[in-house]
Amino acid sequence: MQSLNKKKKIFIGTSLVIPMLLLIGFVVVPAIDLFRMSFIEWDGYSPDTRFVGVSNYISMFKNKDLWLSLKNNSVYFFVHFFMIFFELGFAVLLNSKIKGAKFYKTMVFLPYIINGVAIAYAFSYFYSPINGAFNSILELLQLESWIRSWLSDPKIVNYVLASVSVWRFSGYHVILFLAALQSIPKDIEEAAKVDGANGWHLFRYIQIPGIMLMVDFVLFDNIRGALQVFDIPFVMTAGGPGYASSTFTLYTIKTAFSFSNFGLASTMAIAIMFMIVIIYIIQNNIIHKVLFKDRGQKND
Amino acid sequence: MVLCDGVISEEDAMINAHQIKGGNKMKQKVSIIFTGLLIVLMLFVVGCAKEEASNEGATNESVAGGENTTNEKSELSGTLTFAIWDNNLNTFIEENDMVGKFQKHYPDVDIEVEKMKDDSEYWNAMKMRASANQLPDIMFNKPFTLSRFQDFLLDIGDTQAAQNNLLAEGYAVDGKILGVPLTSGYEYVYYWKDLFEEANVEVPTTWEEFEQVSLTLQEYYGKDNQDFMALAIGLKDEWPNYPFMEFMPALESGNGENWNRMASQDRPFEKGQDVYEAYHKIYNFFNSGVLGRDPLGIGNDQATSIFATKGAAMIALGDWGLQNIAAGAQDISELGTFYLPARNSVDEPYNVIVQGDSFMGVTTHSTIPEAAIAFVEWFYSDEWYPDYINYVSSDSSMKNFPKEKNSVLAQADQTVSEIQWVMYNGGNDAFSSIQNETTFDYKKLGAEMRIDGFDFETVFEDLNQRWTEAREKLNID
Repeated sequence: MQSLNKKKKIFIGTSLVIPMLLLIGFVVVPAIDLFRMSFIEWDGYSPDTRFVGVSNYISMFKNKDLWLSLKNNSVYFFVHFFMIFFELGFAVLLNSKIKGAKFYKTMVFLPYIINGVAIAYAFSYFYSPINGAFNSILELLQLESWIRSWLSDPKIVNYVLASVSVWRFSGYHVILFLAALQSIPKDIEEAAKVDGANGWHLFRYIQIPGIMLMVDFVLFDNIRGALQVFDIPFVMTAGGPGYASSTFTLYTIKTAFSFSNFGLASTMAIAIMFMIVIIYIIQNNIIHKVLFKDRGQKND
Repeated sequence: MVLCDGVISEEDAMINAHQIKGGNKMKQKVSIIFTGLLIVLMLFVVGCAKEEASNEGATNESVAGGENTTNEKSELSGTLTFAIWDNNLNTFIEENDMVGKFQKHYPDVDIEVEKMKDDSEYWNAMKMRASANQLPDIMFNKPFTLSRFQDFLLDIGDTQAAQNNLLAEGYAVDGKILGVPLTSGYEYVYYWKDLFEEANVEVPTTWEEFEQVSLTLQEYYGKDNQDFMALAIGLKDEWPNYPFMEFMPALESGNGENWNRMASQDRPFEKGQDVYEAYHKIYNFFNSGVLGRDPLGIGNDQATSIFATKGAAMIALGDWGLQNIAAGAQDISELGTFYLPARNSVDEPYNVIVQGDSFMGVTTHSTIPEAAIAFVEWFYSDEWYPDYINYVSSDSSMKNFPKEKNSVLAQADQTVSEIQWVMYNGGNDAFSSIQNETTFDYKKLGAEMRIDGFDFETVFEDLNQRWTEAREKLNID
């Protein structure tokens, strides 16, 4: 028995060596190097670099275009956050015995597996002011007065781009929630029903706590995705007009490659990492307090 | 003590728990030490790899060209990487078996052609590779990237390719020819002659005439077609405004070195300076309604397509644009061209940009520079170059292989009797450094001019201040 356990441990340990090496080589070491680069001035291709201390961090905080870009990221965050409720609801619906559930599951997940650049390129034509399909649909529905400059109006461009992001990623979240819902033991739900629980009670007190790990993951993924969004604004609007639809990552890439400032770009990348962690911690604490406040009161 | 199957006494449970806890602590320590050792090992490996890579590659010295003897040819062996971004070049290479033809002369040299999506991705990739000491053996440059990559390019001034080239010497950096331009690039305004005729307008020869013609066309066709654009331009992509934002400052007084001159000035965006005057004209033009309802909402692909289907009367593109227009149009018999008239009156010279494009060069990271040089010589020889230049719409850059201009493009030379050619310089090191420090992106600026609330004077004063600060910080005279 002990020999079997030992063999199991050796097998697991050996299997993890390569993933660990890859993780360290492609994640940990570059992250450490990124941190080092945030304290230097480097154009990305010269052999010479110059240590500049915290100068890059000061420049970053003074850069108003960068913080405008971060403000644009917040649109993606809140739009996706708002959609999580609908995604969860849709997952609950798919989890029930509705007709065509398999078909809906396939259709809802399909956008996620299509190449992101292709989606962005297609949607840039969809929202085009000339012969754009979206304007044509509005005209068909007698809603010409709703037509706007979807990709060039600084006031709405980020919401338009965020809608493309929702189209692309909602299905992924729905499938994750569905998988989590299906993992809840059925006997618990049946027992609750026997005790008189209705749909809302089941959702609030059985399903949500049961899938909390997945909810945490999706919320984290929302923050990470919102702060790192790049392909949709890059392809659809190049971050324009001006910096109206630029995102933090898009600006970071531009800083590195267009303005040959890898030191400052590294600083921005470090900032994104910290922001993801901090926002996640704050969000997690708030969500858990709201969802489990009843438990806290009962335990007192 | 086991009380019954699977059940142990409380004392044993506590002992087990203690042992497990101790064991877990031990495991944690081992994990931390193991992870730390792995990190140190990876850092060591990465550090050694960088050092090895930096010791490789040729130095930036002049490499003699000329023809090889049969013995020298047979000694050349290895694999050359040839990085490109141009779709037309890629198609031509594939259809005409470039590698096979080259190997008839150099049987032991193989060529790997690496195609990037577009030139933007190309520069990003080349910058990364430069830092990793992994540039391809042969790469292309544009006028504005030559100074960036000058430390990574060999001087190929002694090659036949460079000596037979019309423009190479004009782009020498510190006396070194770092790239041989593949084509001579000219910029055109393409227009539909039948649309001009119907609206009763003629080809403009001054900026004011150009504005008037555009307004007339917009009014004439715009009343029936609200999507009509007098000048089609895909401002959503930003770069399509380059004929205006990149070249007009040089056309203003015919100074192809305008960017370099700006690098020597503290306040180059002051009123009266070329860039101010040019951009003020462009600002007024972009906001006069002649670009259609929403030029910021369409990209270059769509703009070209709209022009090809006569949804626009004009479009400003390089000579390379002709192929794209022809691909989208049913009939180009009514297609004409003229050069963008930046001059303010007929008494001023008609300045027109000419620039070398796609500067082929050999990088210092090449481990077989002789073979790379041989490839450059072969590429620009009668074995390859004439067929290629006749395949594309661009003009020849080689004295020994002149090309008769395409009939559509040749029309531009007939619109005015005396043209003053302005050889465009994309900017030297000093300009690039200031540009990076101030984040001065002229193409983005052109797109921003269309945003509501854009204050021209405020933006330019801000640019002046940032320019002055940047020159001081970078210690540029």
